Amino acid sequence: MSHAASGEGIGQPIRRREDMRLITGKGQFSDDMNLPGQTYAVFLRAPHAHARIGAIDTAAALKMPGVLAVLTGKDLLADGLKPIPHTPLLAHPAEIIPENTDGTPVFTAPHYPLATDKVRFVGEAVAIVVATSIAAAKDGAEAIAIDYEPLPAVTDTVAAAAPDAPQLWDQHSNVALDARLGDAAATAAAFKRAAHVVKFKTWVQRITGVPMEPRAALSEYDPQTKRYMLHAGSGGAVRLKNDLATVLGVPSDDVRVLMYDVGGNFGTRGMIYPEFAAVAWAARRVGKPVKWLCERHEAFLCDYQGRDLAVEAELALDRDGTFLAMRGSNIGNAGAHTTNFSPLQKGVEIASSIYRMPAADFRARAVLSNTAPTRPYRSAGRPEVMYVMERLIDLACRDFGFDRVEIRRRNLIAPSELPYTNPFGMTYDSGHYREVMDRALKEGDWDGFPARRAEARARGKYRGIAVANYVDTATGQPRERTDITIRRDGVIDVVIGTVSNGQGHETTFAQCINEWFAVPVDKVNIITHDTDIVKVGGGTHSGRGMRLASYVMKIASDEIVEKGKRIAAHLLQAKPAEIDFTDGHFRVTGSNRSVGLFEVAAAALDQSDLPGELRGPLTATCDKVVKEAAFPYGAHVCEVEIDPVMGNVEIVKYTTVDDVGRAVNPMIIHGQTHGGIAQGVGQALLEHCAYNAADGQLMSGSFMDYAMPRADDFPFFDTFISEVPMPSHPLGIRPAGEGGTCPALAVTVNAIVDALADLGVRHVEMPATPERIWRAINGKKDVSIAKAEG
Amino acid sequence: MPVVTMTVNGEARSAEVEGRTLLVEFLRNHLGLTGTHVGCDTTQCGCCTVHVNGVAIKSCTALAVALDGAAVTTIEGLAQNGKLHPMQEAFREHHALQCGFCTPGMIMSAIDMVRRNGHALDERTVRKQLEGNICRCTGYHNIVTAVQAGAAAMKGQ
Amino acid sequence: MYAFDYHQPKSVDEAAQMLGAKPEPKLLAGGMSLLPTLKLRLAQYTDLVDLSAIDSIKGIERDGDALVIGAMTRHVEVATSDTVKRAIPALTTLAGGIGDPLVRNRGTMGGSIANADPAADYPSAVLGLGATVITDKRQIAGDDFFKGLFETALEPGEIVMAVRYPVPLQAAYIKYPNPASRFALVGVFVARTAAGVRVAVTGAGPCVFRLTDAEALLAKNFSAAALENFTVKPDGLNADIHATAEYRAHAVAVMLKRAVAAAGGNT
Repeated sequence: MSHAASGEGIGQPIRRREDMRLITGKGQFSDDMNLPGQTYAVFLRAPHAHARIGAIDTAAALKMPGVLAVLTGKDLLADGLKPIPHTPLLAHPAEIIPENTDGTPVFTAPHYPLATDKVRFVGEAVAIVVATSIAAAKDGAEAIAIDYEPLPAVTDTVAAAAPDAPQLWDQHSNVALDARLGDAAATAAAFKRAAHVVKFKTWVQRITGVPMEPRAALSEYDPQTKRYMLHAGSGGAVRLKNDLATVLGVPSDDVRVLMYDVGGNFGTRGMIYPEFAAVAWAARRVGKPVKWLCERHEAFLCDYQGRDLAVEAELALDRDGTFLAMRGSNIGNAGAHTTNFSPLQKGVEIASSIYRMPAADFRARAVLSNTAPTRPYRSAGRPEVMYVMERLIDLACRDFGFDRVEIRRRNLIAPSELPYTNPFGMTYDSGHYREVMDRALKEGDWDGFPARRAEARARGKYRGIAVANYVDTATGQPRERTDITIRRDGVIDVVIGTVSNGQGHETTFAQCINEWFAVPVDKVNIITHDTDIVKVGGGTHSGRGMRLASYVMKIASDEIVEKGKRIAAHLLQAKPAEIDFTDGHFRVTGSNRSVGLFEVAAAALDQSDLPGELRGPLTATCDKVVKEAAFPYGAHVCEVEIDPVMGNVEIVKYTTVDDVGRAVNPMIIHGQTHGGIAQGVGQALLEHCAYNAADGQLMSGSFMDYAMPRADDFPFFDTFISEVPMPSHPLGIRPAGEGGTCPALAVTVNAIVDALADLGVRHVEMPATPERIWRAINGKKDVSIAKAEG
Repeated sequence: MPVVTMTVNGEARSAEVEGRTLLVEFLRNHLGLTGTHVGCDTTQCGCCTVHVNGVAIKSCTALAVALDGAAVTTIEGLAQNGKLHPMQEAFREHHALQCGFCTPGMIMSAIDMVRRNGHALDERTVRKQLEGNICRCTGYHNIVTAVQAGAAAMKGQ
Repeated sequence: MYAFDYHQPKSVDEAAQMLGAKPEPKLLAGGMSLLPTLKLRLAQYTDLVDLSAIDSIKGIERDGDALVIGAMTRHVEVATSDTVKRAIPALTTLAGGIGDPLVRNRGTMGGSIANADPAADYPSAVLGLGATVITDKRQIAGDDFFKGLFETALEPGEIVMAVRYPVPLQAAYIKYPNPASRFALVGVFVARTAAGVRVAVTGAGPCVFRLTDAEALLAKNFSAAALENFTVKPDGLNADIHATAEYRAHAVAVMLKRAVAAAGGNT
């Protein structure tokens, strides 16, 4: 096979094609785009966490030099703009859909691009000012006078769920969803007969995505064609186009979305933002292109945020450590709008992880609060519940004397038990869970740890180790489409509805095409950037980029080969059944007669003697709804060293084994694992979107106060790939982007607690800051935990 | 408005700017050199790093008018005659970028690190000296490897 | 940023004249704090007077029993200066730990002390060494220079030209960084000088301050052992999302002990 010869096919760690432009400064990020005559937008944002909007006086602002327009929520309603079409729960066929226990519909509130009646979090956009420069637009924004009637605010997750909490929406309580999953009776019975019960109460703190490229948008309206153009990076072009059309109240074909390089996503950039719609609308209103750049301090206020889950959980065990049941309550803080509850949904449905759990009973609530809206952030919902499960296990070991490895081995689902339906109803398809954990323990030198601990202790340091398993249900938008065309000039065009936010699709998708057609990857043209070309596609999220792209590309490629064989049969005067396709050539079996792929494509265009159905471009489309979920899984081992005087944690060793089914480009997968670990460890040790409970102000509004992981926070990681093919995927591929993060919270905190076990420390909340650790060591109350408990 | 002139990537470039125009705005908006990025507003992320008179600085925290007459090198000016700078080559070879947004600043910062610390950079030095550059994609693992490799490769330059 | 007029005087006199003539002027040194403040529109000035072209206030000089550092000397120059390292290695450490390498390439000593950020490093050296701030109008003792949160003894229009740091017998600076900003959550500068022992603390309070009770203990016995039972009271210390006053008090005591050890205190 030529792909083997050229070394570019599936499984090869080839260098990325996109890098050449990115390392030479020729990338095209959103803020790099400009249009002649463009104007500049600035948003005026709410200074209050909760306030009724009274009179807005824009007269002075409109008089400022250079100001072209000042638009408010009132103007937006008058122009008939619609709310952002959020779908808070995932309707993927493999998902468990939580419903309100009282039978009422799940509450969804209208989220307009500009606040209309009230502001509900600090930083919510209230007005858009368009001017001839950014400075002039800022001058205009400062000149707007608004009468606010401040209202009591609530930011804390548990407090927001209380019946007497300040209510954000007049039409519904803050609890937008209150569901119960599992089997309450079976769970109660199991707890009754349990030899041991361990309890855990925690708050998985709110953090934010912080893609390094701040959001930006450039929009133009063409009054001749009545079309809007929006250039803005997102997780998917087609979804952004459709959502933008909905908000603007126009047919979706009247919107064109463009995006080239996108500087990170991690979920928080995954869907339309209010500002994108407001900028497009403003472009029509002022009759000129409008450009907006989100400054970093704004991003902290109003980018969608992630996590924020309050948990109370219990695990029931038999005398020998066999899990009998788990139960508890998860409250997800949705923020001020009913944007997305899928982290809650995706978390609770796999709260039992890959352990055999006969019964479970969980209450799942989504609550509204006076904070920025939340949505999926790297591995949405799963790192939270993996953290809870793995903490429960380690607490059980500590309280009842079980060995941390043996108890996991005992309860991990065996391959012979798969497919396995967990107590919430999710069915895991495949995996060698125990084998992967054992490999992680070996690579992480678990057995050699006691000596390292003793050596550290001699230096006055406390060393700890932990292992954590995980499973990640990948679903997301189930529909994806590709159009593949073999061009006569030796190039293959692949139109596809995903967008790379740094994952390297131009390289890895081309590697798949290389595998099947033996065409150099440089001759594969991956087209994702323009919705006038890409008509269908779900974007990049939920581990669906490679998983679904390879799925539909494989089917379309097979169709092209079949079609090509029939054309080649004509050209070679043989029967289609006699034609083989190997090495980019169609050959008559057992002969040396052959014709190349691109010659066949040319013949299909040129030769009039071909049957009608074979004439025309050599192309195929696959538009498919993939109903199966995917289940990547793995195990991480983390080793930490703690300075007991100040409480500082150093990650000294971090080992991962992640099963990706089949690795298309191992280099890229290792890279994604590295980044995922850093995001998980960042949550465990550093990051926190801190709101002042009294007034709802964000206290972590810049890199001065939001602790971003830096290079000196980590060691080199030891990452290993396992490849147990996923049965429901034609290539066996499991997603690989979220494994780094999924168990990282759990394994880091468990390692910290293990290090401090001799000092009597039972738990440290996240972020496990030096002060928190110091307090735990010295038996001082964790003030922040008390706050989280409400 | 004052006119500033700088030698940018070896070419004399002039533009009329306001007193408040930042170097990064001069480069991006006036000269169209959009490889230098802005990732924060508190002088921390390092996405905007360029070399001014051979020294790396954060171009978001320098006034253009204050640098009249300076020699500036941006990411666009590193490759010579179509040949990548060894640090660029190292970033590509070691997969030290994913989304690529922090990358120009990382590369400019890494080259300055070599100027300050020499070609044999140990892991700890690299990690410590990258304090002024933030990446969200890579966990820094491959960046550290690339900087070490790039530093060694620069020795032959 | 709000609009302003930019000026680049060539001498201190010229700069002083500009400061006197403009309605709302502000001196620009390295700009590492001022420019971000302006970018966020947290301050507004009619004129910025940039000191970067004034050569007379740059440079490092050993002058008898003191080290004189010009206000416009950049952190990188102090951090890499052999003169500094020979005279006051604690200043080498301090300057080499400010911000990050790119900030150190541009930020200046004079800018840092005039700004008087409560978490900045340099103020602890000025106070901890009992340095003298030399302005275009007078000399100000380190003990009298820092007045409060972002507040100094400088009068409107007064320009810091240099700081004269007495060369101590022993000194060290230990910084415990804020995990987000990397400014000092707590920084302790300790020095044993001919005039006695001085301990200055930054990051922990609204303004850099001396720890006189520790100084008294160390005056008798300059060693970490002398501080074995020494604690700091949290009253009046900073509390924020990064640390409580209680933890800062603990950190001050720990960093002080580490600083004394680093300074080569008797053990």
